[in-house]
Amino acid sequence: MAKIKRRGESGAAKNYTTRNQALKKLQISLSDFRRLCILKGIYPREPLNKKKANKGSSAPASFYYQKDIQYLLHEPLLVKFREHKAFAKKLARAVGRGEWGLAKNLEDAKPVARLDHLVKERYPTFTLALQDLQDPLNLVHLFSTLPTNPIPGKTLVPSAVIAECSRLISEWKVWAIRTHSLRRMFLGVKGVYYECAVPGQGGETVPVRWLEGYEFQQHVPPDVDFRILLTFLELYRTLLAFVMFKLYTEENLVYPPPLDVELDERGESVGAFRLVERKEDAPASAPAKVSRKEVKRAIQGIKAGGPIEEEDVEMEADAVPADTATEEEDFVERPTKAAEVDDVAPAPLTTYNSLLATSSTASSSKTLLFSPYTFYLSRETSSRTWEFVVRALGGRVITSLSASTPDASAEADRITHVLIDRPMTSERIREMQGARKWVWVQPQWVADCVNRNKIISAEEYGPGKLLPPHLSPWDGEGELARPWLEEEKAAEEAKVDEVDEEVEAIAEDEEDEEDEDEDDEDEESQAEEDESSSYPPALLAASLDPSNAALLRAAELEAERNGTTHATFRTQLKEATKANSSKKEVSKSPAANKDEDLRKIMMSNKKSKLYEKIKYSNRQKADEEANLQRKRAEVEKRKRKEARSAGLGKA
Amino acid sequence: MAPRSSAASSSRATRLVPSVQAGPSRLPTTSQSSKKRAAEVVEEDGDSEDEDFGINGDGLELSGDEADEDDVSDDDEDEFPELDSGSEDGEEQEDEADEESASEIVDQEDTGSESGYNSSDIDAMYDSSPSTSLPPSPSSSTKPLSADEKLSKLISKHSIKPDDSIGAEGKISQAKDGKGVLRPSKLVPGGYKREYEDVEAGYGSESSTEENPNTVGNIPMEWYDDLPHIGYDVNGRKIFRPAKGDELDKFLSNVEDPKAWMSVEDKALQQQVQLTDKELDIIRRLERAENPDADFDPYQPTIEWFTGKGMERQMPLSAAPEPKRRFVPSKWEHQKVMKIVKAIREGRIVPNAPRATKPAVYGIWSDADKPNVEHAMYMPAPQLPPPKTKESYNPPEEYLPSEQEKKEWEELEKEDRKEDFLPQKYDALRLVPGYKNMVQEKFERCLDLYLAPRTRRVKLNIDPESLIPKLPSPRELRPFPIVSSVQYRHPGDTRVRGISVNPTGEWVASGSEDGIVRLWDLGNGREVWTWNLKAGAIQHVEWSPNKEEAMLVALVQGKVVVLSPLWLASPSVAAATLEHANNAFASSSATTKIGAGKEVKGVEAIKWVRPSESERERGVLVHVEVPGTPKQVAWHRKGDYFATVSIEAANKSVLIHQLSKHATQSPFRKTNGTVQRVAFHPLKPWFFAATQRYVRLYDLAGQKLIKTLQTGLKWISSMDVHPMGDNLIVGSYDKKLAWFDMDLSNKPFKTLRYHSRALRSVAYHPTLPLFASASDDGTIHIFHATVYTDLMQNPLIVPLKILRGHKITEGLGVLDLRWHPEKPWLVSSGSDGEVRLWCS
Repeated sequence: MAKIKRRGESGAAKNYTTRNQALKKLQISLSDFRRLCILKGIYPREPLNKKKANKGSSAPASFYYQKDIQYLLHEPLLVKFREHKAFAKKLARAVGRGEWGLAKNLEDAKPVARLDHLVKERYPTFTLALQDLQDPLNLVHLFSTLPTNPIPGKTLVPSAVIAECSRLISEWKVWAIRTHSLRRMFLGVKGVYYECAVPGQGGETVPVRWLEGYEFQQHVPPDVDFRILLTFLELYRTLLAFVMFKLYTEENLVYPPPLDVELDERGESVGAFRLVERKEDAPASAPAKVSRKEVKRAIQGIKAGGPIEEEDVEMEADAVPADTATEEEDFVERPTKAAEVDDVAPAPLTTYNSLLATSSTASSSKTLLFSPYTFYLSRETSSRTWEFVVRALGGRVITSLSASTPDASAEADRITHVLIDRPMTSERIREMQGARKWVWVQPQWVADCVNRNKIISAEEYGPGKLLPPHLSPWDGEGELARPWLEEEKAAEEAKVDEVDEEVEAIAEDEEDEEDEDEDDEDEESQAEEDESSSYPPALLAASLDPSNAALLRAAELEAERNGTTHATFRTQLKEATKANSSKKEVSKSPAANKDEDLRKIMMSNKKSKLYEKIKYSNRQKADEEANLQRKRAEVEKRKRKEARSAGLGKA
Repeated sequence: MAPRSSAASSSRATRLVPSVQAGPSRLPTTSQSSKKRAAEVVEEDGDSEDEDFGINGDGLELSGDEADEDDVSDDDEDEFPELDSGSEDGEEQEDEADEESASEIVDQEDTGSESGYNSSDIDAMYDSSPSTSLPPSPSSSTKPLSADEKLSKLISKHSIKPDDSIGAEGKISQAKDGKGVLRPSKLVPGGYKREYEDVEAGYGSESSTEENPNTVGNIPMEWYDDLPHIGYDVNGRKIFRPAKGDELDKFLSNVEDPKAWMSVEDKALQQQVQLTDKELDIIRRLERAENPDADFDPYQPTIEWFTGKGMERQMPLSAAPEPKRRFVPSKWEHQKVMKIVKAIREGRIVPNAPRATKPAVYGIWSDADKPNVEHAMYMPAPQLPPPKTKESYNPPEEYLPSEQEKKEWEELEKEDRKEDFLPQKYDALRLVPGYKNMVQEKFERCLDLYLAPRTRRVKLNIDPESLIPKLPSPRELRPFPIVSSVQYRHPGDTRVRGISVNPTGEWVASGSEDGIVRLWDLGNGREVWTWNLKAGAIQHVEWSPNKEEAMLVALVQGKVVVLSPLWLASPSVAAATLEHANNAFASSSATTKIGAGKEVKGVEAIKWVRPSESERERGVLVHVEVPGTPKQVAWHRKGDYFATVSIEAANKSVLIHQLSKHATQSPFRKTNGTVQRVAFHPLKPWFFAATQRYVRLYDLAGQKLIKTLQTGLKWISSMDVHPMGDNLIVGSYDKKLAWFDMDLSNKPFKTLRYHSRALRSVAYHPTLPLFASASDDGTIHIFHATVYTDLMQNPLIVPLKILRGHKITEGLGVLDLRWHPEKPWLVSSGSDGEVRLWCS
């Protein structure tokens, strides 16, 4: 006989457990459970049938997967939570009794929860970790920009955490600069998006995208629970540190890179980190596992003064011991600022600039986008953004820190581009650059160059000019066809060679020529269009909707511009209308249509609902697209009108 | 009961006594006994003869039964019959008692003073009181008493009332005062010992000292509540209840006696006992929750026995010598310490060394890592989508929202917005402000990550057209009606409720609400004949399926009319028709059968009436007067029987009429719900009756229900049976059409919903694989329906065509439709007063 099936013993009733049941089972408080869920990555589920999952009750509840909770029972973190609870009690008791010695001892032996096992558990492979790096980078960056001296009662973020976040994000960027892995960037209303290509496990490349807000004080809303954010941050910091360790190790660099305090205090952002290469004999894969012996040896090493296991690439020999005394292979302590000042300040500092010039990877940088160029960043541009971008693409950067104006810089002759974000008179420009040929561009030029992966012409990006639209590099299928952009692209492609040869030599007369070229091309393209569809677009639009007076007018105007006579225009319009209506009829022939309708009668209820849903969403999409199309047509029309009226005004 | 218990108690006493005797019996022979005992012995020798005497008496009294056994067993047997059992119990001790009969008296004295046995105490008290009053007798206590003496003592004890003058209290006070006499000790030569008078068990002693004249024993007195006596005396005679006055006497005595308030009733004695001052005091103290003893001092000064100056303990608890380990250092500890010292010296142990912990970061991943096998319950959080051009600080202008769109966006709830920002265009990057909602957004993302329930949703990436079932094209299924070719116009646009095509396909009969049945030529639409029935709206018309006759039935209120276009039909047909319809008039009067199988003659409601001469000339053959308004008529395939359904006719709503015999029968004694439609099975003697929700199939021959079809419809409006008889379509007012395959199930094989209004009529084509449905939405749907003889193959239903043409008037569209018997032509009638012929 088959086994008797009982209610609530299998299926959803067994698979899911409510949060309260989970709490009862784990015997922890709600806040502990929340922390545990965040750190372990446990999330509620939506069962197919809530009533079945809730054992017949339809009361609202959040359901967790039973096995998730079962696994939590053996979580080492849970033990740590309990230990910490006991410790807190003991400490409070000791403090309450005034037993300071005991309190001190307790504090020294404070249980610290480590999350490294969670990192490995949640991201079994490096690639998986990279794929999930977007949220960590976003949050860590956000925290790095939080106010360090918060308004009391608003944020409870310790300044050490903020400092660590800014260090992590800087390390990430330093790595990106070093490996030239920046691929795309996008200037949005929320901030700057970057995308790096990060090598994952087994040679596959994982794109990692993150968002950095603009450099303003963050508005902290009152209803944000920072305990939740900090719990997430705890995990994300650990994850980022491990990812970075892996990345640095693969680049044969020491992690964490020592911070150059002097540069940091001068306001250098990513440049303040020194990248230290590991010594050759140190096995690159050694840190994969840390044996007991190694730990012991390391401790001994500390006692004995330590054998020098690595050295600064750029350091002079005499500086080496002082520097590396604290830097052991796996126990690289980040030197405190004071220590760093004492130890390193007398030695000539190596910044990333000098490193870049001599590093082994510099050879490959010749092929990079900005490698031939030196950028001067004007002081209103965000050096944090643009220094990173330019360097990541091989360019050299002179910030306004070293020279308040480009001509005041010591390396003024090496400057090729000036990144400026304010209007400048041509006199002032001429005055500043003198005999030198600098390309004056707005920052968007850099972003557009990065996204197109080529140097585009700079004349549209001059200081104070109205910029061409900035498009998202990720907006693929939703993007409208933008013929004028395509034309531009074609034109630029034609000119790329010239630009590559002599970037400085983009003169005003050339611009005129280009304009003419563009006009020619416009006409050509129109001619092509005519050939293909035999009607100009406005006329086509008017023929599609003969009752629309505005469209008709537009078509007339177009005809006028094209130089067709009114009579021919009329006939053309009639023909077009006829053709369109016949097309419509063909497409919507009643027989075919009704046939379709009739067959729908035989659809099952479920399928017909699904069908309706799909149809609805398709219609929604089409409507959106049509709306954009319509708006675009309007904008174009307005622009043409303006152009014409301007032309008339001139005439 | 009472005597039995008293005997038991006394026997218990007898049993106990010898056991107490055992120890002290050795007293004279052994010198190990206590000093006290010695003193007692001394006393016996001396002045306290009275005590001895009393004690002796006590002993006698208590161990009376033993004495009987020893000495006076024969004499007393009659007097104490109840003690027999006790003597039997005590037999085991007999030998012992014999041996120590000499020392018995001394023993008895012992038991009196030491054991706390109640009765002995009491007796002792009785005895002691006379002894104080009596002068000390010279008789020696040690001298054994004779049986006579014992008896006399017993009698005297019972006769003498105890004197309370000194009583127990006096004795206690004496004892308290510590009056004693120093006497030379017997046991210690030359020593003296203070001897006290024996303390009689007094008030303070554990044993009760109350004089207890109750001889019935310690029994619940309520046992005797209903009896005149209250127990039995020692001789087994009844002790009668002391005389007690009634309530009035009690009251009077209470009033008279000033001390009545301080007397209580002793239940055991059944008499009023006056409380003494002392007892009253005790009660008062108890009431005040004080210690009942007036002399008790709760605040006695402490007596320091072992504390204070000079009272310290001088002596050690143990005299064992101090162990060596107390003053010699441990060797093993030393070894252990030295081990640690050595380790420290060698550097193996570093005091306060930082614990060797794992480094903060290390290589956690290697190339050998493998991802987990993806589990069905693993649902990773969706990644944030990449930013679109809309989000650009400098988007193309078409992305900028118009004023209206902006307003719409602002009016929407925050949750309903598609994007959490409005596209905006800035002229230069330096003009872009900080994004205000950054923290909020990231916080919400975090909340989503750990709080939002996740579920796996299959992203349907299917072509919606693929959902439409694959069906053969209507073109392949031709012919079917496509266009309206002929219109039969009714004057005054009156509603045409019923139409019917005659079995040869020549004529169309239509019944309109103006009460006229019209006959039309099917091909050219000419009106060829009319019958004005003058009886209200024509509800329904139906041609007889018999091709040899030309006969139709029209329904009006309260009447079923059989008509025939005699003058249009061929003579043979006309003759057959007349013969069939009028045969019964010749034979007999109208017969009505009510109830299945039962013939009921002369039911006045249903009458077969011969129409008037003028009517007969017009072709009206028969009137059948029926109750209610008949709504539908269904012919049997042979053309002799037809069934009508009427409303407002209760159990006579369904009637089956036989034309050849002019007989009517009502097949149902009662109906479950109002019958909407009926139909005859085309092949079998079966009968379909559709109520509002169910279709029931009856076997007319067997007179039983075969099947109930559950339509799932709310209100059935129409029904038709497939010419093969296995399939059925049912139309309903709730816009649905249900197709039943009766071999398959009693639930619909398919329920279709395509009309936008109520269905009015459904019909199968008699010969071709077609069916149609008409609805109030003014449309007629034509379907192809192939029914296969193979039971495994489902019927093929293909929608073919929607016929539009009828106008909707007053919410009613197409009212009835009929197929041409052979051709794929359809006749439909509308509420707009039109009948249309639809041809292929």
